[in-house]
Amino acid sequence: MSEPFEPKIVAFVCTYCTYAGADLAGTSRMKYASNVRIVRLPCTGRISPMFILKALQKGADAVLVSGCHPGDCHFAQGNYHARRRWTVFRALLSFTGIPEQRIRFSWISAAEGAKFTELINNLTEDIRKLGPFEQYHELQTVIETQATY
Amino acid sequence: MTRILPKNRLDDCIAAWRSAGFSVLAPVRRSDLSRFEEVERSEDMALDLVLTERTIKDHFFPQTEPLIKYSIKKHDIDTQEMVPPERKRVFFGVRPCDASGLAIDDPLFGWDYRDEYWFKRRDNAVIVTIACTTSDDFCMCSSVNLSPDSTKGSDVMLRPLQNGSGWQVEALSDRGNALLGPISSILKEGSDATASTASVPVRFDVDKVMAWLADPASFESHFWKEISVRCIGCGSCTFLCPTCHCFDIQDEGDTYTGIRRKNWDSCSFPMFTMHTSGHNPRNTQSTRWRQRIMHKFNYYRGKFGVNSCSGCGRCTRQCPVDMGITETLQAITNLTK
Amino acid sequence: MGIQEQYRSEAAGLLSSGAVKLVIGFGEGSTVERRRPVFVRTPAETERLVLDGGCVANLSTYLLTEGLLSDGKSVAVFLKPDGIRSINILAAEAQLNPEQVVIFGFDIEEGQVRALEGRKASDFAPVIGVAKAAGLSAELQKEAELLDQISAAERFEYWKDQFSKCIKCYACRQVCPMCYCRRCIVDVNQPQWVNTSSHTLGNFEWNIVRAFHLAGRCVACGGCDRSCPVNIPLRLINHRMAKEVLDAFDYYAGECAEQKPVLATFRQDDPETFIL
Repeated sequence: MSEPFEPKIVAFVCTYCTYAGADLAGTSRMKYASNVRIVRLPCTGRISPMFILKALQKGADAVLVSGCHPGDCHFAQGNYHARRRWTVFRALLSFTGIPEQRIRFSWISAAEGAKFTELINNLTEDIRKLGPFEQYHELQTVIETQATY
Repeated sequence: MTRILPKNRLDDCIAAWRSAGFSVLAPVRRSDLSRFEEVERSEDMALDLVLTERTIKDHFFPQTEPLIKYSIKKHDIDTQEMVPPERKRVFFGVRPCDASGLAIDDPLFGWDYRDEYWFKRRDNAVIVTIACTTSDDFCMCSSVNLSPDSTKGSDVMLRPLQNGSGWQVEALSDRGNALLGPISSILKEGSDATASTASVPVRFDVDKVMAWLADPASFESHFWKEISVRCIGCGSCTFLCPTCHCFDIQDEGDTYTGIRRKNWDSCSFPMFTMHTSGHNPRNTQSTRWRQRIMHKFNYYRGKFGVNSCSGCGRCTRQCPVDMGITETLQAITNLTK
Repeated sequence: MGIQEQYRSEAAGLLSSGAVKLVIGFGEGSTVERRRPVFVRTPAETERLVLDGGCVANLSTYLLTEGLLSDGKSVAVFLKPDGIRSINILAAEAQLNPEQVVIFGFDIEEGQVRALEGRKASDFAPVIGVAKAAGLSAELQKEAELLDQISAAERFEYWKDQFSKCIKCYACRQVCPMCYCRRCIVDVNQPQWVNTSSHTLGNFEWNIVRAFHLAGRCVACGGCDRSCPVNIPLRLINHRMAKEVLDAFDYYAGECAEQKPVLATFRQDDPETFIL
């Protein structure tokens, strides 16, 4: 384990705002941590809690969900619905012991390339300090090994 | 004169078996659930329980078990078989119904194909049964031709002494005899009287039940609908049953790598018989409940000569809607009066 | 005349007049303490109906039995306030027509049964109002708070221990009036979102998904908790979700049949303290 820990972060973003924001960061030659894997979706309203569970199942150390600011949704209401959903889902995950620091939410518009860059860099640093999500990864390791009985 | 295992030497007994290479599993109550777990000290054992909530079947046929690991690369498929470890185990304090359950399932797992996952564990396990001196409202071993001290499936039988100081020991098989070797210095000779076994009332007439089930007219009887109307279709009766053995094979993973697993399945679930076409031959709960009863007391007997029920009563004990085999078979007994 | 006799004779009356085709109530169980659901179709059979402090199950589950209400006829059912809230939610989610449900309302206080006034779900609005004002169970809140106070890592270990016991018998799902999906997400395998196997990871995922699907819909009838054969304290998760929707959105599930499901609606000024 001499390799330094590099967090795996999955970002589920809406195509109209946050993805465009990330794009802007790129075209503006802003640098952000390469630890993030972006999954582009039509709207935050389309981001099912299943996605988060799947990301954790597949070994993510943190998950970011990001979309348009309230009032800016391309589909008018998608992010309002998403906001309610995440309020509840976040409480649930926290109650079952999945730390809030690992599941993040943000509003990033198409003009906020700088905010995106900063957020990703900060998040990566936070998770780097927090370390890998061993507790969850361990569940996956256990099922890949033979039962002891 | 018979051999006696004194209760106060139980810790020495565990130590002796452990140094002979055995893991010792016994009833344990932990995290609000009683089940068989490995123990190192006698004080961890919950030998006063009428019955553990989970059966010992779990340790021979786990709820989920990896069979192979696979990985797919361009034109190659790598598979790596996963087999259970060879591990010598003593199950101490098993109830006669749970022990019988193993014996009932043996022919099934060795019938057209020898299930190594079952037999590797069976062949390395020694079942030390303690005869029951207590029972509850749901016990029904006596109704299925077993009893609180039946020896079926056991390698060693322990009968509690009346004075509570230990157990009378009887080896029933070569494996049982071999297990007594390491503890021969702990066993003593004695002639203490054994406690009377629990009296479990006969709750239904299993012969009448079998005769009724074997009658082809019973298959379409309205009885099934009436008796199963409150069944909600969960699988807790099958999953807590010491003899239920149905499983499903699932591939879990992605396009390139994954694990093929053997998972418990239940005839109570609609998915159990669902065809790819969408057709389901057992599309109502009553047909599924009929299958469960028929399988246990008709088909299984036809194939292997025994009923697939050891009378533990767990199906009724924990049913969310207070159903179970006992009530159904009582009703059948009454039908044929 | 006690409430049991009163409801028996009213049930007999409804059946003989043809006002309802079926009465779903409680009857004697396999032991002295146990009560079980019974289905009564004739006036004579109403003698089997029992109503006492042991009648705790939420029988509204049975109303969604395939085909039961599709002929437009009415069914009578014995319900506590939690069960009546279930009817309101099922009506709001278009799973049944509340006009088809005749309710024999009752409540249990310190083991004693008390009749509730009304026959239609909407008649019980005052009762539900009182329940809402009384707040969520203080007992559960205490239990849940104990978990909230420990660290996330400790909570994870707690639930890992609990969920590792799960055998995926789905008793929690089957007994729940809110789990009416013809095809549950765990039975969907294209794509397979959660592991169907009953290893701890699969169990974790299953229990999280179910709790989420019940958020703002659970009426805390306790059916899942009681039916769990391996004694997982599901009540705590469901309580935590009910508290979240109450605190964040002032939402109390099942107040009336017109109440919109909490996650199918929003307000522009919903709280969003956690969003960066």
